[in-house]
Amino acid sequence: MREIKTVTVLGANGTMGAGSAAIVAAFGKAKVHMLARDVNKAKEGIEKAISSIKTDTIRPRLIPGSYDQDLEKAVSESDWVFELVAESYEVKEPINKRIAKARKPGTIVSTVSSGLSIARLADAFDEDGKKHYYGTHFFNPPYKMILCELVTHAGNDKKVTKKLGEYLDKTLGRAVVYTNDTPAFAGNRIGFQLINEAAIKAEEYSDKGGIALIDAIMSGYTGRAMAPLDTADFVGLDVHKAIVDNLYEMTKDAAHSTFKLPGYFQKLIDKGDLGRKSGQGLYKMTKTPDGKKEKLYYDIKGDLFVPVPKFDIPFIKEANRRIGEADYIGAMNIVKEAKGLEADIARYFIARYVSYSLSLVGEVVESKEMTDLAMGTGFNWAPASAFVDFLGGPKEAISLITKAKLPVPEVLAKAKAGKPFYQLKDILDARSLFKG
Amino acid sequence: MKDAVYVLGGEQTDFQRNWTKEGKTFMSLFREAVQDGLEKVGLTPDEIKKLNKQNRIGVFVGNFDAEQYAVQGHLGAFLTEVDPCFFGVPGARYEAACASGSVALDAAQTKLRAKDYDVAIVVGMEIMKTVSSSVGGDFLGTAAYYEKEAKGVQFPFPKLFGKLADVLLERYKLDEKRYMGALAEISRINYANAKRNPKAQTRSWFMNNEHANTRGGEFNMAVGGRLAITDCSQVTDGAALVVLANKNYAEEFAKKKGTKLSAYPKIKGWGHRVAPITFEAKVAESKGDKWVLPWTRQTVKDAFDRSGMNTKDIDVFETHDCFTSSEYAAISAFGITQPGKEHEAIEDGVIDFHGKKPINPSGGLIGAGHPVGASGVRMMLDIYKQVTGTAGDYQVEGAKNGLMLNIGGSATTNYVFVVGK
Repeated sequence: MREIKTVTVLGANGTMGAGSAAIVAAFGKAKVHMLARDVNKAKEGIEKAISSIKTDTIRPRLIPGSYDQDLEKAVSESDWVFELVAESYEVKEPINKRIAKARKPGTIVSTVSSGLSIARLADAFDEDGKKHYYGTHFFNPPYKMILCELVTHAGNDKKVTKKLGEYLDKTLGRAVVYTNDTPAFAGNRIGFQLINEAAIKAEEYSDKGGIALIDAIMSGYTGRAMAPLDTADFVGLDVHKAIVDNLYEMTKDAAHSTFKLPGYFQKLIDKGDLGRKSGQGLYKMTKTPDGKKEKLYYDIKGDLFVPVPKFDIPFIKEANRRIGEADYIGAMNIVKEAKGLEADIARYFIARYVSYSLSLVGEVVESKEMTDLAMGTGFNWAPASAFVDFLGGPKEAISLITKAKLPVPEVLAKAKAGKPFYQLKDILDARSLFKG
Repeated sequence: MKDAVYVLGGEQTDFQRNWTKEGKTFMSLFREAVQDGLEKVGLTPDEIKKLNKQNRIGVFVGNFDAEQYAVQGHLGAFLTEVDPCFFGVPGARYEAACASGSVALDAAQTKLRAKDYDVAIVVGMEIMKTVSSSVGGDFLGTAAYYEKEAKGVQFPFPKLFGKLADVLLERYKLDEKRYMGALAEISRINYANAKRNPKAQTRSWFMNNEHANTRGGEFNMAVGGRLAITDCSQVTDGAALVVLANKNYAEEFAKKKGTKLSAYPKIKGWGHRVAPITFEAKVAESKGDKWVLPWTRQTVKDAFDRSGMNTKDIDVFETHDCFTSSEYAAISAFGITQPGKEHEAIEDGVIDFHGKKPINPSGGLIGAGHPVGASGVRMMLDIYKQVTGTAGDYQVEGAKNGLMLNIGGSATTNYVFVVGK
């Protein structure tokens, strides 16, 4: 692989494009051609890049340009072309054709895609281009979320993959997760499975608090910085739809039915209520008459926004207390033994998360450490293997999964008792992701 | 020194964590640090119970300001909350501002040398993100002469160490650009080293020499005279634990582990000196001296004298870089250069990770983080890792002897330990 001195970023005006360009310019010290539809948009991207990483020193290395005027020249002098244009073959394939014509042999070309086939996108390139074509799936915002899924396809050269992985890790400071070219790769497949199933369950329990109830059940004590439906609201319901629709169409695994987008999501999308970016979606912030901020949630049945109630769920209070005292096993014991609907839901989702995360080993990633790293650094969710330890070990985790009538992943079934299941302790302290 | 004290190992918390954001208190920090540390060393609750029955074990807690940050005192007693095996174990808290960890280490080694105890558990801890940075800055002001140097001053310590930068510049008639460039390079090196340390606070933060040299403005605000944010260590939550033992126990422990006593490094020398508390008095006293911080230099010399060693024998240093100016002054205090020539060692790469005299391979306080009361213990842990070849990606090749300098206040309390096999 050539030394990466010059990079072209396509889609440089978006949050992901600008944030990624900033990483490359700052950590990689590379000159970055920031390309957008027009040069003014690219200039906006430069400002976003600078503010995302908080250093003006990258400014001289960021060069604005437009696809029409500058793409061929920028690509021809680049060592890496990093494409972050809209998530569709219709947009990416014509751009790839232009990149393919302009690129020099040996230039890395990579895409940020949440779910498109990397092999299909690589088809636009000649043999050398295919060899150097990858998915480099960064997460938002790139400076804070350090995950990069490095997606390979059959045409890649292992030596180039190794060098690119090292560059992403050692130079750009990414947590590199190597994944196969499968729908949504590792992080989003696991993350959006849980989010969408949570959305489905929210509809099922609409009369009990729906969205707000499910998020309360799936709050900090279950090892996540942000509850799942709040996450959907944060990433945008349209983005959520694109990911789960693709997963529904392209996968046939044991969780297949859980990728079906609930009707109320479509209803909100049709209204333009896409989440935080459009002001409202599953949630909405408002002010009470006395000027205090208030969070409302979307009442699915009533089709209106109502205040998020303060749920009084004793086992959650107790689990929170235990987490607050750094008693993680104690907290999971509370969850395991609690009675009632909320506890049943909590146990089901913990079981599902562990089961589904570990089930991808073999198909999507080579080891459980890869799914653990993906969820820990891409979603700020406690890795599945850490749950196994806090639940009391593989046997206890299998029991929880079996009771939830979910498949027991092979890697868990084969695990040896008496040995920590979570192996990334010195890279990622999973305890930090449990919030009391 | 006779009566050797051995370092059996230890552990630190991930200094990137914000325990308040996690909804956890100082007690959780304490608990995780102790549980992880004892597990890493291999000191079990049963063994602690046994040692306590024989009155052979004590606990030494280094902490600066839990009263203000966590509204809690009496920390020496808090191991009893971690595990009942600590019921009855003698324990107390030790305080000397940012050198609190070292004063706890010193108390522990003294008891071990005197054979009052055979084993000492030393914990350093500070939880600081419970309050805003300006409130925390005021708390830290009590490590100076509060009434005279900190009351009503926003961020007093950056200002005091900014003054140190001024004095160094003036005293040695340094070229300002070159000097400030050297300070920026100190910052760059510490951040770069922190990237290899999986427990460092800034391991994913961006920093380079260019950025460290852009002082002032929106992205690198000036906070103390010449010093900007990149010259400062950051507010950090964290704790570290080391287990020390005298020969009586270290031999037993080695046997239990199926290893030799020589597998464990020893504290070979130490120094402890207190300079005048106000910065103004320090400067006045040091006029005409070769060193601007003569008591810091003396502390290093004391540790060398006690160990029978010198700068040439030290393969790795962990220093108290609360600010770039403090690390700058430490370079000559260590004897790496003559005073006033520190920038040459920086420019020549002498103190870099691959240099002849690497300083702060862990990232130091600037890169790894500065949970005030934990820093001294964390430094001891890092020197232990270096001389036992267990520092992983930040291992200095072939390190046999290491030295740590931990200071409290504006270089007021000075502590040095020399550790090696």
